[in-house]
Amino acid sequence: MATGTAVSLQNVRKTYQLGEPVHALDGVTLEIPRGTYTAIMGPSGSGKSTLMNLVGCLDTPTDGTVVVGGEDVTTLDDRERTTLRGTTVGFVFQTFNLMPRLSALENVALPQLFQGVGRSTRRDRARELLERVGLGDRTDHMPNELSGGQRQRVALARALVNDPTIVLADEPSGNLDTDTEADVLDLFDEFYDAGTTMLVVTHERHVAERAERIVHLLDGRIERVEELDDAGRDSDVAQGQRDGVDGTGAASGADR
Amino acid sequence: MRPLEFGRLAWRAIRSHRLRSALTTLGIVIGIAAVIAFVTLGASLQAGLVGDISPDDQRNLYGWAADPDTEGGPLAGAQPVFSQDDLDAVSERDGVDAAYGYMPISTQALVYEGELSPQSDGLVAAGPPYIRPDTLEEGRQFEMGEREAVINPAVAGQFEENVSVGDELTIALQGGQQTTVTVVGITDTSEGLSPFEGFEPSPRVYVPTDPYYTEEVESATAGLGGENASENGSSAGGGTGVGEDALFLAIVVQAESADDADVDRARESALGYLESDDSDASELLGDELAVTMQTSTELLQQLQDVLDLLQSFIVGIAAISLVVGSIGIANIMLVSVTERTREIGIMKAVGAQNRDVLGLFLTEAVVLGVIGAILGTALGLLVGYAGTWYIDIPLVYPYGYVALAIAVGVLVGVLSGLYPAWRAARTDPIDALRYE
Ligand SMILES: Nc1ncnc2c1ncn2[C@@H]1O[C@H](COP(=O)(O)OP(=O)(O)OP(=O)(O)O)[C@@H](O)[C@H]1O
Ligand SMILES: [Mg+2]
Repeated sequence: MATGTAVSLQNVRKTYQLGEPVHALDGVTLEIPRGTYTAIMGPSGSGKSTLMNLVGCLDTPTDGTVVVGGEDVTTLDDRERTTLRGTTVGFVFQTFNLMPRLSALENVALPQLFQGVGRSTRRDRARELLERVGLGDRTDHMPNELSGGQRQRVALARALVNDPTIVLADEPSGNLDTDTEADVLDLFDEFYDAGTTMLVVTHERHVAERAERIVHLLDGRIERVEELDDAGRDSDVAQGQRDGVDGTGAASGADR
Repeated sequence: MRPLEFGRLAWRAIRSHRLRSALTTLGIVIGIAAVIAFVTLGASLQAGLVGDISPDDQRNLYGWAADPDTEGGPLAGAQPVFSQDDLDAVSERDGVDAAYGYMPISTQALVYEGELSPQSDGLVAAGPPYIRPDTLEEGRQFEMGEREAVINPAVAGQFEENVSVGDELTIALQGGQQTTVTVVGITDTSEGLSPFEGFEPSPRVYVPTDPYYTEEVESATAGLGGENASENGSSAGGGTGVGEDALFLAIVVQAESADDADVDRARESALGYLESDDSDASELLGDELAVTMQTSTELLQQLQDVLDLLQSFIVGIAAISLVVGSIGIANIMLVSVTERTREIGIMKAVGAQNRDVLGLFLTEAVVLGVIGAILGTALGLLVGYAGTWYIDIPLVYPYGYVALAIAVGVLVGVLSGLYPAWRAARTDPIDALRYE
């Protein structure tokens, strides 16, 4: 597994000025090693999405530094940040955020379009990813012709299309039923096993327990970091071990 | 990102709002169609007319007397003032090769081998040089003083049996008299031989002024008060009080060559005489009338000037239409940018650069503009085609303008799309993703 730091936050503040200042993030320092699986939990309004947006290079901090994939996001200009989020990070949004007028295939191929990849290469790659997320027979469906779980999987495939080293997911299973949720989380495990750094925001304990550690946020600060004890997850043995621990192993195991 | 990709996405967006897009382009369609239709007509008209001036015609000067304020083409407001004496005198002048009268004569019908074909005009009396050798398909010019005629193909072909050189043709004049002519020549075209006749093809018979015009004047004068009293409408000479002397409606002066200098010399010479006290015409000209004397090219130039003026007018209206059209596109693009804020956010979130978003919306505007331009061009050509068909002139496609129209479409698209596209590009991805 790769070593080094995938994401590093140093004393990060994000303040919104609305009459009186709102500190969405209030001095967060966090190191996420490469190839690790981190879950972020916390009550609503605690700053989880704000943190994800910063790591996803969609936003810039009011104060502090954010380093993603070795690049200090705060010193990059808009164009360079865009490139970074097009190539290094894959963002899975809570609300899917698919393009309504593009088919599943075209949605998945979209990020590569902006990287200048040719049409046929793009389509092959998108088809391959859709097959991987179990949607090989839905490539030409429009988003409104897909179920919630299918849309989430399209969004996931899209996040992965440029081979990102970091995958961010903001409440990926927020509105999915248990089975679909397990499917999506199993896919996360696959990418994690393949060496991708995973950062997943969730409200639910059993989702968070698939990670190596859980970062608990409260009012824009890190309340505590919980290290889960299955440290040797990179081995297949550890995989099975974890499935046993988090309680969803039966559901996901049946799917494999 | 490649232009083709932009185009594909833009086309998709446009197609998802068919009616809206169609209405948006309407202003452009109308503006461009107006210009193309008019330019097609103008170019065709010009080609039809200018194409008709043969090199041999370049040395002819066409003159008539009219109130100088009269607007219009050749013979507009013309009064018959030229006597045979004047014509003879003019042909003797320096620099003048020949001069002869021109007079349209009203008819009732043409009769060939017992077959009668009603014909109210189309009999033209002139001098033999009026039939230029290069316009003769077969036969020869008529001769002055002879009962001979040259006909055009429209006359030759309008009877059951074709009229050919050597045949006899009977002409029933307006007054009821009949006269028989021998056909000595047939022209190669049914269009007019000079700007006096106009250029539209129609059946025409050309005869010498003597005997046909002079004779008719005599008979009209003789029959004054008799059954033919009302006949002198066209042969106005009969009632002017200059006696039996025939007065011609127009004069054709032939210069020594088509050289500009020779043409000008002949013009000055002829005008000098006609306006001097020596001429019969000067008596009739008085203060109100003046003689205009111009070549076919110059006469057509006037027509061209009118066309040009009309063209600027149409182009002005089209420009307004294009401005309105651009505002329409800009407006729809702004609406579209707002509607698609979330999509813009998604695209930027997955790696679309500002210039990608800019290009995408700009392409959309340009595609709208170009669609408008293409539809407008097609419509304009159609109208132009219908117009040329209706007035029966050869169709000339203004290829240059078609290219220009497409360029204008692109330009309109860019201009109207620039601000909306810039707004789209500037959209902050986080705000856009939060946009409901
Ligand atoms: N654009 C904004 N303008 C003003 N305040 C904002 C903005 N975005 C977030 N906030 C504030 O920052 C705080 C953190 O918001 P954030 O979206 O990160 O919460 P969250 O942890 O993701 O909550 P949830 O679990 O409900 O998604 C909230 O108090 C919110 O009101
Ligand atoms: Mg959130």
